[in-house]
Amino acid sequence: MRSRTILYAAILVMMASLSPATRAQNAARSGSPPDISGVWLVENFEPRLFPKGGAPFTPWAETKFKATNPLTDDPNLGCLPLGLPRFMISVPYPMEIFQVPTRVIMIQEGPQTMRQIHMNREHPKDLDPTYSGDSIGRWEGDTLVADTIGFNDKTWLDGSGLPHSEALHVVERIHRQDRDTLVDDIVIEDPKAYTKPITTRQLYKLKPDWEIHEYVCEENNKYSHQEK
Amino acid sequence: MINRWMVLPVAAVLLLSIAGSAFAHHGFQSWFDMSRSVTVKGTVTAFDWTNPHAYIYLDVKDEKGAVVKWSAELGAVAMLSRAGWKKDTVKPGDEITMTGNPGKDGKPIMHLDKVVLAKGQELATAL
Repeated sequence: MRSRTILYAAILVMMASLSPATRAQNAARSGSPPDISGVWLVENFEPRLFPKGGAPFTPWAETKFKATNPLTDDPNLGCLPLGLPRFMISVPYPMEIFQVPTRVIMIQEGPQTMRQIHMNREHPKDLDPTYSGDSIGRWEGDTLVADTIGFNDKTWLDGSGLPHSEALHVVERIHRQDRDTLVDDIVIEDPKAYTKPITTRQLYKLKPDWEIHEYVCEENNKYSHQEK
Repeated sequence: MINRWMVLPVAAVLLLSIAGSAFAHHGFQSWFDMSRSVTVKGTVTAFDWTNPHAYIYLDVKDEKGAVVKWSAELGAVAMLSRAGWKKDTVKPGDEITMTGNPGKDGKPIMHLDKVVLAKGQELATAL
């Protein structure tokens, strides 16, 4: 009897010790990717990548940054899309993540924009530059690795006005740390603008009772006249 | 007894205090002096329940009895809803008190922190 108890205990311990990666692989084998869906709100909100300064500017980017007036030049003033990583780090409103077989779709409540990560293809050749770029993704265990290129240069990296060029390349590693916590580890590379990669980590908390509300940024925007 | 009028303003103020100091939000730094606070009392003339910001318009009598037209900028409608606001929380004709960060150049505008409504309830703004 004791040996059977030990056997059962051993089996339970082995099952419990299956790593998230192994469990994810099992899930993948069984056909379902890890679940990162839900309504998420940024935790430890800090919209600036370098709150105390010190961005590794190239001379081109430093000139551009110094000439930027954050109060009048912000493309977000006119309700334009935020691009990356600003979409993921500089919005104090909730976002909802949906997963369908071909895509992971994120809807930002403010200002009601979305991004999609294509799970079933590579980047097209000759991308037309866009605000949000072209994102492709794949699962590595329980981590969604998203790769984005094809940006135009009309967005800011963050809420402080950090510029970037069309060479911007953003890689994210997104995983659900626990039921209520999502982590996005972001690496930003733009050799025209920054002398070395910029990394940041954004945490999100699950808001199971929240829905994404309508948010029409253009409705009564008193700041759009400040755009040049 | 803790009721929602106590919990929601506290939660909203906490959110604002965590985020407000760091949030390099597009418009408000250009218009408001975030280091000062002002409180005015008057009669609501309009409440714009819109995005990206809701606005309260208030007729405030100055010391001489002349009417000064104040406006207060609030946060986005969805976040205000989550902090307990509705589109009729404040209505034309209501006597309310508003506290917030005043306009930089003496204009009668503010970035709202909180209101005290006609019947005494306090409601904080939200982002």
